[in-house]
Amino acid sequence: MKVRFMFSHLKKMLSQRSPSAYRFGVALASLLVIPAALSFNSLEISQPVLKAAAEAVSVQKVWANEAAAAAAPAAEAKKDEKKGTEVWAPLAPPKLEAKDYPVVKGFNSRITVWFIAQLHLFFGAFVLAVPIFVWLIELTGVITKDERYDHMAHEFMKVAMTGFSLAASFGGLLSIALVVFYPQFMLYMTGIFGKVMIFYALAFFAESFFLYTYYYGWDKMSDGKAKTIHLSLGLGLNLAGVFLMMVSNSWASFMMAPSGLDDAGVFKGDVWAAINGHLWNPVNIHRFVANIAYGGSLTAAYAGYKFLTAKTAQEKAHYDWMGYTSFFIAIIGLLPLPFAGYWLTKEIYDYSQQMGITLMGGAFAWLFILQAVLIGTIFLSANYYLWCCLARSPGAKRYTFMIKPIAIVIVTAFLAWFTPHTLVMTSKEVTQIGGAHHPLLGKFGVMAAKNTAVNFLIVLTFLSFQIYQRSNKRAVGDDFWATNGTSVQIGLYVAGLANILSLGIYSYYLPASVRIGLSVPQVTTTLIVIVTSFILDGKIFKKSEEMGETQWGNMPVRSQYALFTLTIGFTWLMGLMGYVRSAIRQHWHVYTVFRDNSPDAFTPTLPYAASVVTVIVCVFIALVLFMFWMPMLAAKKGSSGEH
Amino acid sequence: MHFLKPIIGVLVAYLLIKIGVPFLGSLSHPGTWPVVPTAVMKMYLFFIIAGAFVASTFSEEGYNGLIGPIVDLYGNPAKAKLRLGAVAAVSLLGTWVAYQYVKPSFDAPVELRSVHPAPPSSANMWGKSFELQTLKNPFREDKANFAKNVEEGGIVYYKNCFYCHGDKQDGKGHFYSAFNPIPANFVDVGTIAMLTESFVFWRVGTGGPGLPSEGAPWATAMPVWHTMLSEEEVWKAVMFIYEQSGVQPRVTATVAEKK
Amino acid sequence: MEATKKGNSELGKILGYSLFIMLAFVGFAKFGIPLVIPELPPVEEKITGAMTQDQMVAMGDKIFHGKGTCTLCHSPVGGRAPLLDGVATRAPERIKDPRYKGKAKTGEEYIRESMKEPSTYVVAGFGKPGTNDTVSPMPQIDKGAIGLNDVEINAVIAYFQKSSGLPVTVPLPTGAAAAPAAGGAEAAAPKPAATAEEAFNKYGCVTCHKVPGIAEGGDMGPDLTKLASAAGSRKPGMSGEMYIIESISTPNAYVVKGFDPDIMPGDFAEKVTMSEMNLIVKALLGKK
Repeated sequence: MKVRFMFSHLKKMLSQRSPSAYRFGVALASLLVIPAALSFNSLEISQPVLKAAAEAVSVQKVWANEAAAAAAPAAEAKKDEKKGTEVWAPLAPPKLEAKDYPVVKGFNSRITVWFIAQLHLFFGAFVLAVPIFVWLIELTGVITKDERYDHMAHEFMKVAMTGFSLAASFGGLLSIALVVFYPQFMLYMTGIFGKVMIFYALAFFAESFFLYTYYYGWDKMSDGKAKTIHLSLGLGLNLAGVFLMMVSNSWASFMMAPSGLDDAGVFKGDVWAAINGHLWNPVNIHRFVANIAYGGSLTAAYAGYKFLTAKTAQEKAHYDWMGYTSFFIAIIGLLPLPFAGYWLTKEIYDYSQQMGITLMGGAFAWLFILQAVLIGTIFLSANYYLWCCLARSPGAKRYTFMIKPIAIVIVTAFLAWFTPHTLVMTSKEVTQIGGAHHPLLGKFGVMAAKNTAVNFLIVLTFLSFQIYQRSNKRAVGDDFWATNGTSVQIGLYVAGLANILSLGIYSYYLPASVRIGLSVPQVTTTLIVIVTSFILDGKIFKKSEEMGETQWGNMPVRSQYALFTLTIGFTWLMGLMGYVRSAIRQHWHVYTVFRDNSPDAFTPTLPYAASVVTVIVCVFIALVLFMFWMPMLAAKKGSSGEH
Repeated sequence: MHFLKPIIGVLVAYLLIKIGVPFLGSLSHPGTWPVVPTAVMKMYLFFIIAGAFVASTFSEEGYNGLIGPIVDLYGNPAKAKLRLGAVAAVSLLGTWVAYQYVKPSFDAPVELRSVHPAPPSSANMWGKSFELQTLKNPFREDKANFAKNVEEGGIVYYKNCFYCHGDKQDGKGHFYSAFNPIPANFVDVGTIAMLTESFVFWRVGTGGPGLPSEGAPWATAMPVWHTMLSEEEVWKAVMFIYEQSGVQPRVTATVAEKK
Repeated sequence: MEATKKGNSELGKILGYSLFIMLAFVGFAKFGIPLVIPELPPVEEKITGAMTQDQMVAMGDKIFHGKGTCTLCHSPVGGRAPLLDGVATRAPERIKDPRYKGKAKTGEEYIRESMKEPSTYVVAGFGKPGTNDTVSPMPQIDKGAIGLNDVEINAVIAYFQKSSGLPVTVPLPTGAAAAPAAGGAEAAAPKPAATAEEAFNKYGCVTCHKVPGIAEGGDMGPDLTKLASAAGSRKPGMSGEMYIIESISTPNAYVVKGFDPDIMPGDFAEKVTMSEMNLIVKALLGKK
């Protein structure tokens, strides 16, 4: 129904032959060419290269794996039996040697691929996240009939437009780089996922179609039924985006936890089994949630910059509001993120205890101290921004006394969280402590304390948020909730925190295998506190009055720097976690199945990875400036034309 | 004096960690003073200061209260002398910190190591191989001469070991303060009481150089005794330190099952 | 113009601040936490017939602590898996346990089975949560990332047996042909015997024993010409092959009636290479 409606609308629009519609049509057609070409880049161009690589390889007898050779005649026979049905020959992972990895002068294979993949991921994450919340904001605008939401959604989209082509360009570059530097590996991956890769490439057309109709049709389809069509276009854009993300995730998760292979590692043709691996869904969820938080923080940084350079009070107020909304989105993504991370880690343990221990107790144990510092920075800057937001509300004076206690608890929880299990000490300190085990700090090293601390962090961050939400309101109703609701909320928070704490202390004394199970009631407590308290807010302020006008734009400069800290923290952390996700495969292309025998198969050290990540983020920031500069350039031209 | 509040807060937090943590720790491990390691302390302080800064600057009054005096100090012409003092104090602090980093130190470098290394399966002493897993003290079974053997072990101990490990077996012999880490305290339940006799025999026999390569470099001054004492003397000395310190050697499951 | 200038200086400040934060992160990664250098990818260990039994045990030790990644879980830290001190002594008891589900008859077979099918016997308290100790969390050692081959698994078993103080009974690696090629550096080492006769003479067996194929022989030790039929029944549950290997490497493990212990030298495990041991066993069992 909707699709037919949409097409008839488009037809009508184009047949009007009005200049604007004509311009729109041309723009649509010409712009469709770019992503199409880019999608071609990403696969169509690489296919001949792949083929050439395949021929080269067959000469090197990499294919002459015994299992494959033995099974090939059988597959041949099968082909004769059922003509027309597709037949995938069993594919065994090749055994490579150092000479199977091309050396291109001036490039280090691994760092090149690392760079491009990370940049692709940064832009990909951004452009997948933005349409999700743009769509939600647009929907909010339709429901609340508040024009401001619609404008803001449009502006977000404008900011992200250049990001789409950058993401696609890096995607194309990545596949070419992989084929150039790791031809055998790509040959193996296409051997398994070739079928899916075609659909992946095709989905780019859907993505491009929805993207350009959604963005360029924004003003045309602004009300009534047309708005419904516009929203469906946005939904289509998001579905295509999520599809693309899940497909590419399946390759990454296959490399970590291969599935659909038999005991000897031979692929028998069931592509779905290969996609639906043990880590696929945990990675999907984790990336989806993180993308939203990350996309929100990037747009918040954009708004922060615009706020700092705004010339008029009106402009300042607008970008303050935009910054706050972006920040709000980032927090919505941030709060469930630790849980998604815990789930992923748990599944990694379930998939392979060895991989899990390598991750948490082996060479990477110290990386999680660094991760804790980064997450602490993110949480602290998020809370700081929220506290600064109180300056907007004339009624906030009533709550400022709570900020210091909150800060103390957050810092304490955070210190407990990042206390390492193995302490670094001088021999003098060992003598004083009386051994390598610290009687008090040692207790903070285990999961029981860390889970408790992270739940505290989340609950208190939500408390900061709730304080800001109510800072300018006063309940005027006289029913039960309006008069006693706040006391109930206080009781809820106290009981919830006490429960989390006692569960944490109790679980400390349990054996490790039982202890993990107790993190579930802790998380449940956190969720109950957050959800119930949020619902109660609605009941308490059913009838309420503002205590003066919210002063949008009345924000100190340092609050915007909190937003920048948040964004940089997020981006850098994403880069770091990209390193560790890839590095826990150790010397395997596909874990346990396809060994990496390139000279770069060793696992890089943490400071080395941190330096590489920093350089990548610097390049990314430069490109982001370009991305943000594009719409401003367009706006400038537009304004000069009007004069 | 608004700006003093966060500074006092940081100081209180510092003292809590500096003194409170070791105090609480010493309650559960009497006789020790479990300080917070410097490396951890630095990170704690960094985030405590960041937290204090953040918690006192979110509002405009707080920010001005904290930053105002500093701006005043560096900008007010009337406070030239005070400013000079402040600049000097900051410079001196920087100098002191820099000096702490570069001054020569006799401390062993910071290290991560396990307290009881995993023993090898066999050790070579006196030109032959000992299977540590199944090795037993040959004098343990000899009940008739037990007192005599322990006494002979005591002579070996006082001739060789007592200078470091002490008269009371508490690791506080004459030379103990010269060693870092200090000699093992046999009375503590965390040392020989946790180990089998064969493990102690190996540690005595091969000393510091016999420790496994994992966890290296090892900081221990224990000599390689098998080049100086006979096999019998080492066994008797091992028996003596267990007898004298009043703890029982650990019996492994393997040995227990064989009985 | 003014606005652009302001925008640029503001942008400069923001970029400088961002760079500062990132450098702080890198600084912490470099100076704040100790440097851990991840291990290099494991090199495939080659176990050949040219090794002596002791060398094979040492190789098993190396695999156990290295490539096999066993000590990730089988270590006192964390208590994720049972400790393996003296596992070879406990193994025969395990087979008699009513919870045991496998087919092993000897301790050696039990250990091998535990590595290949970890769930046949799960030590109480170490099963996957919720399975009541019926499913083991241990990966199959001959598959996946660890992927030890049979010879490597045998070396690990040999290490367990040796460290438990038991005689080593595992099957010997063949592949003697690979030895000369690999042993270029060890040119000084005596060439391994090529035939059983050579081996018997090289180690002086005929000084005390009568052996098949050689007419002359001493009578200090048992007559070995009839061993082919007797070896299999000397010790219950032990094959003839196992018995012979045990008797050469640990002579006192079983002393034939009428002969004294401690007569035969106990150091053959350190001298006889695996390929020679193979030749000797085959000759004594009458196989060609």
